[in-house]
Amino acid sequence: MQVRREVEIDATPDEVWEALATDEGRARWLEDDAAREVHVEVVEAPFRLVWWWWRGEEPATRVEVLVAPVPDGSRVVVTESLPTFPLIALARAHAGALAHA
Amino acid sequence: MTDALGSVFAALADPTRRVMVETLLRDGTTSVPALTEALPMSRQAIAKHLAVLDDAGLVERAPAGGREVRYRLSEGALEPAATWLAAADAAWDGRLARLKETVERGTSG
Repeated sequence: MQVRREVEIDATPDEVWEALATDEGRARWLEDDAAREVHVEVVEAPFRLVWWWWRGEEPATRVEVLVAPVPDGSRVVVTESLPTFPLIALARAHAGALAHA
Repeated sequence: MTDALGSVFAALADPTRRVMVETLLRDGTTSVPALTEALPMSRQAIAKHLAVLDDAGLVERAPAGGREVRYRLSEGALEPAATWLAAADAAWDGRLARLKETVERGTSG
């Protein structure tokens, strides 16, 4: 279970990294969500950043951000995966469905 | 906990049955022969595990496509997956658009 999105940015990987790896940089594009816990797993400046995040009782998801140089700047590829699916989501969905039955 | 709810958790507590559910998420449908090939156990054991998933409302028989009985996840079982994928796609589209804007604005001057 995962989603993959990418974008090309007219800037060097170092410039992109500045917005990814610093609190100040992230505040400019990543929504401020105090309820979400974040654990950083891998930091390989300026090319790869991996973190896990979750809200409350929700299952944790793993976010991997890859930054690669391309002729016109950088390509940023994000993969967010939900490794605990289907166990938790499925159990919850069926619990909900059964509760309403 | 109701008996029905208890049976869902019991169904998913078993690692073999979780593999079966994951197989269905990946392949759409499966069958006793296909699972027997993929898992180190007998047809009888596979059929018994499928029956537990069926009783818990997690899988159902797919419309017949031939002689072989095929199973699929029940319709409601895939709903949280579809919801999660759509929400995550939309969230990252927004975040990456903002990332691009903020980085390009920052480097232009």
